[in-house]
Amino acid sequence: MLDAIVVSLQVALVATLINLPIALLLSWLVVKRRIRGAFLLDILASLPLAVPPVVVGYMLLLMFGRRGPLGRALEAALEWELVFTWFAAALAAAIVSFPLTARAIMVAMQGVDERIERSARSLGAGPLRVIFTITLPLAYRGILAGVLLGFVRAVSEFGATIVVAGNIPGKTQTLPLAIYQNVQLGRDGEALSLVSISIVLAIAALAVHNWLVARAHR
Amino acid sequence: MKHFLRLNVRKSYRDFVLDCEAEFDAGVTAVFGPSGCGKTTLLDCVAGMTSPDGGEILLQGAPLYSSTDRVDLAPERRRFGYVFQHGALFPHMTVRENVMYGYALTPEAERRFEPDDLGGLLGISHLMERGVKNLSGGERQRVALARALAVSPRALLLDEPLASLDAANRASILTYLRHVSDQLGTPMVYVSHSLSEVMALASNTLALSEGRRVAYGPTGEVMAHPGVAQIADYSTLENILEAEVVNVDDATGTSILGLGDTELVGPPTDAVPGERVTISIRAGDIILSLGVPPKTSARNAAPSVIRELHEVSGRMLVYLDVGERLVAEVTPASASELGLRIGQDVHLVFKSNSILVFKSETGPRTVLE
Repeated sequence: MLDAIVVSLQVALVATLINLPIALLLSWLVVKRRIRGAFLLDILASLPLAVPPVVVGYMLLLMFGRRGPLGRALEAALEWELVFTWFAAALAAAIVSFPLTARAIMVAMQGVDERIERSARSLGAGPLRVIFTITLPLAYRGILAGVLLGFVRAVSEFGATIVVAGNIPGKTQTLPLAIYQNVQLGRDGEALSLVSISIVLAIAALAVHNWLVARAHR
Repeated sequence: MKHFLRLNVRKSYRDFVLDCEAEFDAGVTAVFGPSGCGKTTLLDCVAGMTSPDGGEILLQGAPLYSSTDRVDLAPERRRFGYVFQHGALFPHMTVRENVMYGYALTPEAERRFEPDDLGGLLGISHLMERGVKNLSGGERQRVALARALAVSPRALLLDEPLASLDAANRASILTYLRHVSDQLGTPMVYVSHSLSEVMALASNTLALSEGRRVAYGPTGEVMAHPGVAQIADYSTLENILEAEVVNVDDATGTSILGLGDTELVGPPTDAVPGERVTISIRAGDIILSLGVPPKTSARNAAPSVIRELHEVSGRMLVYLDVGERLVAEVTPASASELGLRIGQDVHLVFKSNSILVFKSETGPRTVLE
């Protein structure tokens, strides 16, 4: 039981760490730079939210599987197979939770008045300095909220994970997968105690999230 | 260098084209026009916030932007102080941190103004350690000015800096701006849709309408230009001036205000004798009288000389000299009946209540060396 919690937290943490820099960069390009193709990027970033997670898992399997193009490249370069490792679970969780993180960060960045950033530019700050001294400090609560939301989603990820990472206890078996297995085996007691842990984790994370969002709009 | 700023820019949007050429002298230049005329776009092109589609912008002969030479300096390399309508202060910093932000980024050799001196000039010394969220509108704009001046800018660019302020703060910030221009000598480009502000502050004015230049030249002439008459609302025209309180008479409920060479009778004020205040007199409230007027209920009959006469859109604008420039607005019919002409001595008749007196929250008294 402890194994499932540890794997879950590890997978969600790594998924979040993968997502944060990409989501920050993407949000900045879409919201602040308004680059050409921002419209398409925005849709692409949100796509995992709209397709069934199992589709995401299957796509990953096709790409990273033994016969997939990326799978073969990894095999040749590192003699390492991604599929059915905990890292595959983290990658699946990252993709599925990315839209939540990215969308929250976009909203947070949109909330930073452009005139404030332009004032900083006119005062001699280059674009990078403006990001670190103005945009990020003013948007950080919204960014944290997005990170937390993504983390919660990553912890609860099931569909994509089971396809690409399997359900190996102690290795790739996260909380939802463990619950699923216990239900399958008719072990209601264990399933229910894992369910309560999930609910407590979710309530705690959502409470912090809501607090951050409320503070961000002050 | 005769002109400090020369520009010739084209910028088109889906339903709007800016195409304007102008040469600005040092001092205060206003860019005047109704909303949507392109004045903010013009200012953004100068500041480097917006890239024009073509043309060039030269600062003291050096290109900031040139489509032929492919130059387009980033805003942070142009060293202009930009002030927005609402101040756009950094909400996560104190007043001092706001002012220090640009100062710290300015190379030491180019620093001409110290933040503490600017704080004194703009009357914000007592606010330095405070956060910016609870400042009044007038305080915010003064902090924004200090922050912009702290980079020792080559010019101040002001985009409707008074638009969100009440009458008292508006008058007081105008006075601060005049002091900044007089004492620091920083050229200003002042974007506004208010004739009164433009007249109070700017020596030259560029009038824009629908992205095109309507008139450019000395403010007095531009204001009376027939093309400007179409976009200007003379009925709200006020004279906003700085005066000195000479005396306050509580018994009669009046004050004596020194303005230029003359003294005016104004309404009661809680300012003390010797204090500098900003006053405002509507151009339409001033009656012109040939010779010394007989006794009337109006308390003011100030002698003055007519300097300019302009008939625009059914009104006669009369520029008067009382040691300061005042504008009165009369009907062309009464002007011709009186036979008004340039150089003529007239008396300005108006009620003491026609003068509004605005005290500065904290007077701008510090003089920078």
